[in-house]
Amino acid sequence: MEDLKVKLKEQIIEALNLQGMTPADIDDNAPLFGEGLGLDSIDSLEMMVLLERNYGIKIEDAREGRKVLESVQSMAEYIQQHRKI
Amino acid sequence: MMKPVYILSASAISPQHTFDREQFLQPVMSSDNGKLYVVEADYRQYVNPVAIRRMSKVIKMGISTAMNALQQAGISCPDAIITGTGMGSMLDMERFLKDMIELKEEALNPTYFIQSTYNSINGWIALQTKCNGYNQTFVHRGLSLELSLLDAQLFLTEAEEKQTVLAGCFDEMTEEYFFIKNKIDYWKKEIPNSLDLIRHSNTKGTIGGEGAAFFTLTNERGNAICAIKEIKTFQDAELSEVQSGIHELLQAHHLNPNDIDVLLCGMNGDCRQQAVYDMALQEVPTPTVTTFKQLTGEYATASGFAVWLASEMIRTQQVPETITYRKSNTEAIKNILILNHYITGSTSLILISQA
Repeated sequence: MEDLKVKLKEQIIEALNLQGMTPADIDDNAPLFGEGLGLDSIDSLEMMVLLERNYGIKIEDAREGRKVLESVQSMAEYIQQHRKI
Repeated sequence: MMKPVYILSASAISPQHTFDREQFLQPVMSSDNGKLYVVEADYRQYVNPVAIRRMSKVIKMGISTAMNALQQAGISCPDAIITGTGMGSMLDMERFLKDMIELKEEALNPTYFIQSTYNSINGWIALQTKCNGYNQTFVHRGLSLELSLLDAQLFLTEAEEKQTVLAGCFDEMTEEYFFIKNKIDYWKKEIPNSLDLIRHSNTKGTIGGEGAAFFTLTNERGNAICAIKEIKTFQDAELSEVQSGIHELLQAHHLNPNDIDVLLCGMNGDCRQQAVYDMALQEVPTPTVTTFKQLTGEYATASGFAVWLASEMIRTQQVPETITYRKSNTEAIKNILILNHYITGSTSLILISQA
């Protein structure tokens, strides 16, 4: 699980071009949107693409998506249960 | 005849040091590889820091020159935003198309798609300035900038009170673009140093370039730098049509050929495109002739750099040595005629005069 979270953080940094950030700068439980990393709606679309491309996960229910994308922790847990790749 | 539009401010990011404006075209930049890339600015001063991370170079260039032009004019929100681009955000388009092929049209990044659209920069500028007014992007190859200026002129001519328009252009060069255009002989086979480009006008091809230029335009003279008196465009025109166009333009503004203080030519070193400039040199026997593509390279909206250069020449009353093709001691720079030709068959004339 720890390895997955580090890898996920690296993928987020690359996909969203978070220049100057390292995985250590992202708290596992900090909210990704709003206060935390300050990501926006286009970033949420980029994260959905990230999940589909790297883990074969397609989230079609927006409410479910919002829960999954709350934090790195919630994303990693969801990936562990639903990954196809 | 439409009313003149007045340039309140001008900003350019180009392969030269044009953005910081400390010294007029100094130091001069050159290249030996047939490509002139822009001298990049500190974009963080002008672009929303949250959004900047996902922007490609042309978007940052466009927004920064636009915001800089508005700042110089002391305007936070224009009444309209009108731009022109030949190719838009090439890099984003290339990334998006490559992803489509590699990922078999699935799981595509939204950012590249959104930013590959031609009007993306206008959208960003409108968001940053909170401008809900008229917003238009012209994509007409070598006449894109000219048509955006014509539209701005129409907008300002129709306005019943003082209005401001942010008008400009942007284009970027990518490796892919350079490679593809090389296949249809756009570029010189034997590459001279960019500063020697015009001296190599006896062979085919030119050198590649890129840039962005923005202008704050208004319909009242006030403290304007200069005025755009007329814009004439030609597509696939015979030489005689452009020749007549020059005479009509001069007549319409009660000018003799001798009243043109500086002829600013878009010569690009390509023998296939030289005829129109040779004709103009005969028709407008002004003692001062200048060229600019040895500084910018060729791209669809290079005439935006020429408009910036003309406004700077009028503002500073200087003709820099580096753009001089033929020079005499001009007492005052009052009227500048820009002649530009682009490889896709478009030609334009722009008359810029003291306000």
